Amino acid sequence: MKKKGLALAAVVCSAAMLLSACGGSGSSSSSSSNGGKNVISLFDTEPQNPLIPGNTNETGGGMVLRGLFSQLVRFDNKGNPVNDQAQSIKPNADGTQYTIKLKSGLKFSDGTPIKAENFTKAWSYVANAKNAQKCSSFFSTIKGYDDLQKADGLKGDEQLSGLKVVDDTTFTVDLKSPDATFPIKVGYSGFAPLPASFYKDTKAFGNAPVGNGPYKFDSWKHNTEIKVVKNPNYKGDDKPQNDGVTFKIYTKMDAAYADVQAGNLDALNSVPQADLKTFQKDSSLQAYNKPGSSIQQFTIPANLAHFQAGTEEGTLRRQAISMSIDRKGIVNKVLNGIGEPAHEFTAPVIPGYSATLKGNENLSYNPSKAKELWQKADAISKDTDQLTIAYNSDGDAKPVFDAIVNSINNALGSQVAATNPMPTFQEFRDAISNRKVKGAFRSGWMPDYPSAENYLVQNFASSAADGQGSNDGDYKNPKFDAIMDQAYAAKSVDEANKLYQQGQEILLNDLPAIPLYYRANDGVAAKGVKGFAIDWQTYPTFVQMHK
Amino acid sequence: MGKYLLRRILQMIPVVLGTTLLVYALVFALPGDPVKAMFGDKPINAAVAAQIRAEYNLDKPFIIQYLLFLKNALTLNFGNTFSGQPVIDEIGQAFPVTIKLALMAFVFEAIFGVIFGIISGLKKGKWYDSVILIVSLLLISVPTFVTGFLAQYFIGVKWRLLPVTAGSDPGFLDLLMPAMVLGSVSMAYIIRLTRSEVSSNIAEDYVRTARAKGMSNGSVIMRHVLRNSLIPVVTYLGQDLGALMSGAMISETIFNVHGIGFLTYQSILKGESNMVVSIVTLLTLIFVVCNLAVDMLYAALDPRIRYA
Repeated sequence: MKKKGLALAAVVCSAAMLLSACGGSGSSSSSSSNGGKNVISLFDTEPQNPLIPGNTNETGGGMVLRGLFSQLVRFDNKGNPVNDQAQSIKPNADGTQYTIKLKSGLKFSDGTPIKAENFTKAWSYVANAKNAQKCSSFFSTIKGYDDLQKADGLKGDEQLSGLKVVDDTTFTVDLKSPDATFPIKVGYSGFAPLPASFYKDTKAFGNAPVGNGPYKFDSWKHNTEIKVVKNPNYKGDDKPQNDGVTFKIYTKMDAAYADVQAGNLDALNSVPQADLKTFQKDSSLQAYNKPGSSIQQFTIPANLAHFQAGTEEGTLRRQAISMSIDRKGIVNKVLNGIGEPAHEFTAPVIPGYSATLKGNENLSYNPSKAKELWQKADAISKDTDQLTIAYNSDGDAKPVFDAIVNSINNALGSQVAATNPMPTFQEFRDAISNRKVKGAFRSGWMPDYPSAENYLVQNFASSAADGQGSNDGDYKNPKFDAIMDQAYAAKSVDEANKLYQQGQEILLNDLPAIPLYYRANDGVAAKGVKGFAIDWQTYPTFVQMHK
Repeated sequence: MGKYLLRRILQMIPVVLGTTLLVYALVFALPGDPVKAMFGDKPINAAVAAQIRAEYNLDKPFIIQYLLFLKNALTLNFGNTFSGQPVIDEIGQAFPVTIKLALMAFVFEAIFGVIFGIISGLKKGKWYDSVILIVSLLLISVPTFVTGFLAQYFIGVKWRLLPVTAGSDPGFLDLLMPAMVLGSVSMAYIIRLTRSEVSSNIAEDYVRTARAKGMSNGSVIMRHVLRNSLIPVVTYLGQDLGALMSGAMISETIFNVHGIGFLTYQSILKGESNMVVSIVTLLTLIFVVCNLAVDMLYAALDPRIRYA
């Protein structure tokens, strides 16, 4: 028995070894059967919504839609808009009406022509509350939007009264008020045109969309992978350098990272926390690390006792808190240098960004000045409450906020600040939108389109306060609002950007939120993949990638 | 026997009702609002949010939501996910993968666990007994995600012996590493269980008697020692098949296996109560059926046990 048992064990072990040896060849054959040599595979997460541009507001589906749909404009690598489907987008004298001319001969991937109507109907569909599309509020500046918000009385096919088709390739857009950023906004994915087949069966369309982008939808195996191939009907300049893209669905980035290391996945547009220290030295892959478009900050609500925005005491305390944070040290030590200390409220890749704005010394580390300002504030009114900073602990915010609180307490006194972790992002957002957070809270912004307007107005204008937008701190400053309105009425993007910088100087003094750092665009690609970069949306530049 | 079986099957009804209610209540009680979370930190259009709530019955009180779910479930309609996919389709896609993975892990742990357990139980104190004991202790004490990452890094990334992740449509080789990792802890338990059973049974009177009657060593071990030693092992294995399916979550996320664990994890994050409850109900059923099968197996292994 003894011999038999051992022999049996030996047989089983050697069988296992044989199998594992086959495994080596098996895996390589499966990666080549991935379809052609020039198909790019990318990390993605399962889209949270059907693949409909107007109903997608997250990156899992957004990344796929980036390939499947083209908008009137697209953004070059510097974040500047260039015409894509549009021939021209021209404002009238006061900027309240835009005339949009489409290029001629445009087609959807199923061969049907793209007409002005494909845009106007799609925009109205998304704006119409009856259709419950998540990007609905992007259309709120167009005339007729308010009429489409009482879902009970609507059928779903009512049109925005501000959109008028002139001829097959021309339509006009009437805005409620001037908006110089409108020609940039229309580059957001929610503004894509939809073919007539969409309205016949929206559900089927969401599972197998027909678009007008560089790629054509091929297949979607839910929770597993989405495949797109080159669109033969695409005639624009955003020409794919590969034959197709496979979006592989993961729940954990770590698995995708291991796949990139082993050459089974071509690109991952982020780096897992555990690999931040080593990814730039890892010789089994190509690393990417450049300044990105998302800003991390924390908001101090405008009406928080002793921190009221616009009051002398509040402003002193806000500035003191801001100056007591060692941003550089935190970026280097906690984030392993993957990021850049903030100098203003937008981000380095956004047109109009400046690291030399007046008042940005409030964002540099100066513990002695901070202490002085804090004491001045104490002289006005003694602050006994602790400033708590809330964050969601299901992300990787904990080490950063621990470091911030330490930095503040070191500079201002041991009991000045404390963290207030909340278990999940859902719970955290719920508390913020119900205004239940007592104290400050983490806030970040990832732009929908590369414009300072998207950061400043959404986060700090009165029009976005009180639940109307993302101004969750309810900061209201008429002077700031007036500058934003002027920027909307500006004659050019450059002129608008100058005004946005002026607006930022007000914010740098009032500090409705404390800017911390810009998260870097970091990512990894397999060896042998060419053209890999990460764009302003943090997507890999997959249209340009090839093998 | 038939009566016993019927009684056991009828018992499943309150078990399933109880678990669905409990799980539904737990998902409902999760803090936060899934509809608000859909908008991330972007502005929420109140009219749109209300439409979505109405569509998924999220605007109704808890007990109504639960009863609606039950009513639909009776007609095998488990509702849709937030992305508009029927829950039943998604489970239908993920489930075969998990069954494959769990069965592979099950076979792996049963074969290796029992074999090593017997070797070590028959020859207590030998060097290979000590090696087996130490390895099994290691497997028990190191958490699965550590074993998983180590295996993935060395076997997959460094030595390129097995695929790093399973990916879509996984075959036998794609699932081999996840299955071994998933089954490793249970295998270690089975080794220890088998070892102690074998070594205690071998000293029993009936074994001595059998030997005294002149039976060959092989048939003493096979007929008397093993058969008696395997009863607790079978119990453990039966419980474990259910546990493997629900416990696959960790190895499924490490190796990107698109199974039930993967789906559950995503659904909990998104607050998709329909999906979570459906999966848990299914797992409950599997547990109950596995237990029933184990009880039936007892009778086959031990003639003293009879069901009335």
